[in-house]
Amino acid sequence: MIDLQDVSKQFDGKRKVTALDQVSLSIAKGEMVSLVGASGSGKSTMLNLIGGLDKPSSGEIIVDGQRLSRVSDDQLTRVRRDKIGFIFQFFNLLPTLSCLENAALPLHLRGWNRRRIDERARELLDLVQLGHRLDHLPEELSGGERQRVAIARALSVYPPILLADEPTGNLDSHTGAEILHLIRNLHQRLGATILIVTHDMGVAESCPRTIRLKDGKVVEDIRR
Amino acid sequence: MMLLRLLTWPYVRKHKLRTILTIAGIALGVIVFVGMRTANDSVLYGFQQTVDRLAGKAQLQISSGETGFPEEVLERVQALPEVDVAVPVIEATVKTGLPGQGNILILGVDMTGDRSLRQYEFEEGDESFIDDPLVFLAQPDSLMVTSEFAAHNHLATGGKISFDTMIGPRQFTIRGIMKSGGLASAFGGNLAIMDIYAAQKVFGRGRGFDRIDLKLKPDVSLAKGQSALEALLGSGYQIEPPSSRGKQFESISRIFSIGASLNSAFALLIGLFIIYNTFAIAVTQRRSEIGILRSLGASRRQVRGLFLLESAILGLTGSILGIVFGLLMARGMANYVSSLFGEIYGVAQRVETVAADPKIIALALGIGVATSMLAAWLPARDASQVDPAKALHKGAYESFTAEEGRLRLIGAACFLAAAAVCLFLRGAEGLRLYAGYLSVVLAAILLAPAMVRCLVAALRPLLRSLLPVEGALAAGSLIQSPRRTSATVVAVMLSISLVVGLGGVSNSSYQSLMGWMNNVLNPDLFVAASEQISDRGFRFPASIGDELRRMDFIDEVQMVRTARVRFRGAPVMIVAVTIDSLARRVHPQVVAGDPSRMYREAAAGRGVLFADSLARLKGVELGDTVEIPSPAGVLKLPVVGITIDYSDQQGAILMDRSVFVRNWKDDTVNLFRVYLTKGTTAGEGKRRILAQLGARNRLFVLTNDQVRRFILRVTDQWFSLTYMQIFVAVLVAVLGIVNSLTVSITDRRRELAVLQAVGGLRRQVRQAVWMEAMAIALVSVLLGLALGAVILFYYIGIIREEIAGVRLEYEYPVRIALALIPAMIAVAFLSALGPAESAVRSSLVEALEYE
Repeated sequence: MIDLQDVSKQFDGKRKVTALDQVSLSIAKGEMVSLVGASGSGKSTMLNLIGGLDKPSSGEIIVDGQRLSRVSDDQLTRVRRDKIGFIFQFFNLLPTLSCLENAALPLHLRGWNRRRIDERARELLDLVQLGHRLDHLPEELSGGERQRVAIARALSVYPPILLADEPTGNLDSHTGAEILHLIRNLHQRLGATILIVTHDMGVAESCPRTIRLKDGKVVEDIRR
Repeated sequence: MMLLRLLTWPYVRKHKLRTILTIAGIALGVIVFVGMRTANDSVLYGFQQTVDRLAGKAQLQISSGETGFPEEVLERVQALPEVDVAVPVIEATVKTGLPGQGNILILGVDMTGDRSLRQYEFEEGDESFIDDPLVFLAQPDSLMVTSEFAAHNHLATGGKISFDTMIGPRQFTIRGIMKSGGLASAFGGNLAIMDIYAAQKVFGRGRGFDRIDLKLKPDVSLAKGQSALEALLGSGYQIEPPSSRGKQFESISRIFSIGASLNSAFALLIGLFIIYNTFAIAVTQRRSEIGILRSLGASRRQVRGLFLLESAILGLTGSILGIVFGLLMARGMANYVSSLFGEIYGVAQRVETVAADPKIIALALGIGVATSMLAAWLPARDASQVDPAKALHKGAYESFTAEEGRLRLIGAACFLAAAAVCLFLRGAEGLRLYAGYLSVVLAAILLAPAMVRCLVAALRPLLRSLLPVEGALAAGSLIQSPRRTSATVVAVMLSISLVVGLGGVSNSSYQSLMGWMNNVLNPDLFVAASEQISDRGFRFPASIGDELRRMDFIDEVQMVRTARVRFRGAPVMIVAVTIDSLARRVHPQVVAGDPSRMYREAAAGRGVLFADSLARLKGVELGDTVEIPSPAGVLKLPVVGITIDYSDQQGAILMDRSVFVRNWKDDTVNLFRVYLTKGTTAGEGKRRILAQLGARNRLFVLTNDQVRRFILRVTDQWFSLTYMQIFVAVLVAVLGIVNSLTVSITDRRRELAVLQAVGGLRRQVRQAVWMEAMAIALVSVLLGLALGAVILFYYIGIIREEIAGVRLEYEYPVRIALALIPAMIAVAFLSALGPAESAVRSSLVEALEYE
């Protein structure tokens, strides 16, 4: 499902920084993988590259058969829209939209008709147990509830890949455990490929596969 | 200063575009102020310079308005023991017909005595003439020109130059060329001297002079001389130092000056909101920085001082740029304003230099910096009150607190109540109108955020139905962040209301003018002494009227004499015409008086008619007896009627020709209103008049249509200056929109990145930004149109009571309003193109991490 072939990423500034250094790896369809490493090891960079938020300096990334390095920005957006769901550490909900509107955002962007959008968004919010909070604004929700809305948004088109960047990093341990449980549950029910970037070894070890990065290189790949 | 370098400079460098827009906001206001004032002052200064240079050593000048007076007055003045030298003067401007030369001022003087007052220094000339001025007298075609004029036109002594005179085209011989400087530099050097008796003939002055310039004996004080002359001549004459002529010209062009000042003030007011917006946003964005500063020990005063210093620097930069560009604008405008003054007021002047007046520059700097600091005062105060512990809570400060909202509503209610009180009070019309106007504007400013919220909430379903995500985001952004948008909305709202107000005044003025032209301007032809109908430099002898009457294709001729006289301290236009004939032909709108009686009384010389506007400005009512100074003494006549009349911008006094001839001893004519016999076309009539009189006389035959077009053209030019100011106001508002969007995009960087991360195409992000801009424009335009409706009411009142006395009907400029909605939405869309591109081109990864 996800293939990285000799992928490097350098950031040019006053000092050239290599965030990823010729990384090659494969993640199969339906796998749930955690990505760990110290700060600056390159894990978020890798997630951003796989998610098409950024482009590699060299190498090739293939997502669900689509080579990302040679596509335009809009084609990259279409890959994100159709194949990838994002869950962010800081939720990144749009503050002016209600829960229902936030969850429905990718569907609107795909141009679905309103009735279908409404049905799907309600279904997703029920799935994350927020069916009773449809018209609330993000500021009216707790951290855990916000992350649930973000998860509902990420799942809105039932994408084959779900990328989560520290999904529990901004939550207390109890809520974090709940969210992790929800993600695992959804993985089992929906069969999506999930890649979680985390500092939390508990979260990492709960995944069947863990990839460890150090100084932009894969130093460990554990399968359980 | 250290804080400024450490904190402000990096922020400014990071937000270059916003800083530029803020500076531009102030600069534009200052440009309008400096440009309009300098152009206006340069015209006035040019006039005063000419007056001063022509005056020479003259201490006093005797005149009778513009009408002139009989020759014998000179002898009486010369005989007065207090008078040392008294010389007669005739002044007229003539079109040179030479490429690039425009008009030349011809001064008719008596060379035998004039050298005692004015210094004539010659570069070259007939020696006999230089030695003996009588030679000049003996040759009536003699002309002296300045060395500049001669050089520009390659003229030398003995050279010939032709002008159209009242006795037909005449050739003049250059007999002397005056050296540069002093007298020769009057009217920008476009000056010629002619013998006074030749000038009487050439300019149709009959046996009269325009003015007497005099010098008192050394031991006679100015006041003593003045009172001796007043005792001799009576109150029909003005006896004043030359400098007072400048004041009179200022008084005539007062309407223009008031308009220019009001519009400059409005442009600065709009600029004030742009700056307020920038600083309010800066304080919001730098809240955490301010919190850190405060927690490190910075006092409230230091924080407030930091922001005020920033605003002063921005204001100073904007003012300096505004002054530079304002002076450039003045250079372009001065000649335009000068020719406009010439056409409207019939007073010739020439702009010699457009120089920076230190007073205006200092005032512009002061106003620019003060406006900037005033605008930054509230944000600076907010910054100084930041609670360090709460400083990191960013979002909450984007909206107004409930307390702020409540205070705004209370303030608005107070201002509305004040406006209502002003509306229903009586007396002190001008003051209550200005106070009411100000109260309404302030109430609208205070109510703006609440109204934006209501309007955007009402618009949200519409925006969402157009584009669900983009529409919801645009509406949400506006509702959630009133602090960011309300100042821009206020700036645009004020601009639009200005457009509606001035547009409404312009529409009503045109309609009123058209109504007057249809009622009064009905002769088939106008025979004028000058191409420009308002020019009163040339006058016909009355005999031309008799010749016209004898032409078999002419049914009726009305002889019109117009001149400004001093009435209640200011120059006022007199229109002298045969009232009997006029009453049969025209039907002006009568404001007060019985139409048949008023014409009967005026025709019999037992009363005068007043223009409604003049009566309002001077506080004259039907039945009042007015005193009009004339060479024969003070003329006391009752006001027998008040009508709508636009013969002059400030209104006019209409009297029977017989009254004028009797009291001013002057039967000359400025204009003939000619009615043709049935079956004679205007074209044919014009051709036949020119054929019979054109060869012998300087005359211009204008058809009714030409005169109407001239009046409308001058009116267009008048309003074109207003439209230019509207353009500046709209430009300032556009800067506000760009500023708001730039900030909005910075604030919503993460939001827009999320939109792209979850599948939003670049097109969709652009559309979200465009929609926000268009929503700002739509809301602002709707508020502006509503405020404009109220402002128009006040404008009409202020024009009536304070500025021109003109009675304008209230008519909302519907077409302008309908045109403004799509125009401003289009402007907003164009303003949003840049910010939208910056939104889609920034790095997604960085934007998602942005806080």
